[in-house]
Amino acid sequence: MSSDLSSAAGPGPAAGPALNPAERLLNLVIALVNTNAAMTKQQVRAAVAGYADAPSAEAFERMFERDKDMLRALGVPVVTVGTGGHTDELGYRIDQDAYALPSIDLTPAELGVLSLAAQFWQDKTLQTDITRAMVKLRAAGAGDPSADALAGLAPSVRAVGDAYGPLMEAIEARRAVTFAYRAAYNGAVLTRHVEPWRIAARDGGWYLMAFDRDRQAPRVFRMSRIESRVRIVGASGAYQIPEFETDVMLGKTHGEVRQAVVAVRPERASALRARAKAVPDGERQAWLDRLPGAGTGSDASGPGWDVLEVPFRSLTGMASEAAGYGAALVVLDPEAVREETVRRLRAAAALAPATAGVSRG
Amino acid sequence: MAERADDRLLRLLGIVAYLDGAGPVPVEDLARRFGTTPAQIQKDVDALWVSGTPGYWPDDLIDFDAASIDRGVVHLTEARGMTRPLRLGTREAVALVAALRAMKATGAVQADPARSAVVESALGKLTDATGEAASAVDVRLAPDGDRQVVSVISGALAARHRLRIRYVSSSDVVSEREVDPVRLHTQDEFAYLAAWCYRAGAPRTFRVDRILEAVETDVPVQDHAGQLAEIDFGALFAGGSAPLATIRFAPRARWFAEEVPVESVRNLPDGDFEVTLRVTNPGWLRSTLIQLGPYVRSVSPPEAAQDVAGAAREALAVYGVTGDAAGEAAVSPDRH
Repeated sequence: MSSDLSSAAGPGPAAGPALNPAERLLNLVIALVNTNAAMTKQQVRAAVAGYADAPSAEAFERMFERDKDMLRALGVPVVTVGTGGHTDELGYRIDQDAYALPSIDLTPAELGVLSLAAQFWQDKTLQTDITRAMVKLRAAGAGDPSADALAGLAPSVRAVGDAYGPLMEAIEARRAVTFAYRAAYNGAVLTRHVEPWRIAARDGGWYLMAFDRDRQAPRVFRMSRIESRVRIVGASGAYQIPEFETDVMLGKTHGEVRQAVVAVRPERASALRARAKAVPDGERQAWLDRLPGAGTGSDASGPGWDVLEVPFRSLTGMASEAAGYGAALVVLDPEAVREETVRRLRAAAALAPATAGVSRG
Repeated sequence: MAERADDRLLRLLGIVAYLDGAGPVPVEDLARRFGTTPAQIQKDVDALWVSGTPGYWPDDLIDFDAASIDRGVVHLTEARGMTRPLRLGTREAVALVAALRAMKATGAVQADPARSAVVESALGKLTDATGEAASAVDVRLAPDGDRQVVSVISGALAARHRLRIRYVSSSDVVSEREVDPVRLHTQDEFAYLAAWCYRAGAPRTFRVDRILEAVETDVPVQDHAGQLAEIDFGALFAGGSAPLATIRFAPRARWFAEEVPVESVRNLPDGDFEVTLRVTNPGWLRSTLIQLGPYVRSVSPPEAAQDVAGAAREALAVYGVTGDAAGEAAVSPDRH
């Protein structure tokens, strides 16, 4: 950014101290807002403060193109129009209606909430986006922000990563992208071609929802598994984004709630107990009889167990949670959860050879 | 580092639009509003003063009342048409709206109708002003915690009262504690209560979904300023000098490397990957590795592997199943 001053060599027609880039941009905005019809590039070069500093036609071209891009990136609607004269030279102006923020009238408390939201993002690009939004909203003149009502409540989300910028650009322009992606089922890294639809965060992970051109089907990608830069390819408006529910596409709402029955040692598995309830007293003994070792006098049965009913959606999720409690919890029903739990325990048991006295039959 | 030209331009335009509606404003107030120093505001005013429409005759320029400036008050007298604040760009709107929606869904906001209403109205005004660009990003953080617990905590925070909580740790140990609540913070998939814990005699963070019960007492919180400064959510898992363990996983367990703070991750040619982490909580690691059993290829040092395998064997004994003849599960997991 600071290299813009390097062209301040020779004095132009309106000699004087070279303007810094922000001041030159300011004069360009004011000129293009106030122009009657439009200004051609040559009019800009001759008339707008700062552009006379450009030492050559090429230097001016570069300067003007860069400034135009920067204004558009800030949300300033620089539009290109035919000048309607004898030449086919283009003119530029700023569309006043598209320039202005609609009247928004925020209360101090609301502005406070927005300031808090500004702390939400960890990524530099997103922080920049949100800081700019706040400068614009503060210019809209709400009272002084008061965050008292929400002090300390600011949530935050883990960094989304470098893929965010190009993906947002692609979604906005409806352009396809390619990237290298590590598949979870075999760890292989392959190049994918997709039409990005939406970026979502759930359960601590960032996901890209997109149409996969190679597989000709909608797919969800975990953004942490994108292993290359995201490259935007192809034309704008290349596809449409359908209406869809994030959670349906992520498969989060699938599966009905079912009940598992588990035996738990007293005082253990409290996190699971928080969503469980005890089976009716009349059924307790019948369940305990299903414990292996029941009736043999082994300590595996008897009064040392609570019998609980636990709701679950995902069989593997339930089995995983159950296995994690080790010997403090036994799955009694359904059989499929029990089998999956035992499978996990067996795999874990195989991580080290048995030592004498630990393994019982 | 020098300020970027685009950021400064935004502020220059913002100052003119704001002053046009606000009338004379002290330099200090402007500086606070736009998050900069009074000296920078002075420079901004100097730059605005000589800017305007081509020609740059006195009538073409943005103008201020000179006598006011001498008193430290900025009084805009000519805006050269720059009276409207700039609209939000799509990316800016998306970032702001996604953050607000995520905030609206957190327990701390949901538990308090007044807060909820403010977030709701801010969101409403913002989406009215920006249109419906915002569905490009959809963030939802912590799932519903126990509403009752969250509501008791927010109440105690507001009233500055001590809490009595029953808490289950990630190693499945339940404790009763008295704590002075400091802050309720949602970070990704979990909400945390930062508090002064009287049992530990130190600041502690508690995962809200592991608080089994919370009761607000009528004891006012004490001032722990200074002692609480170091509460750092990033340090929740930070290991310091805890012993290292190295685990080799099958590709399916990749989330482990993504969600658990680890020291290093090494991708292996066959798709497996190896993580090294500090074991601050052996109970948690044991439980997690049993959960992931079919995708764990190896654990070192051997004592760590023995710890996991031993716990799994104990559990298998309760099921009346032997752990033997099961070795193949670790060698070729999940090919079906």
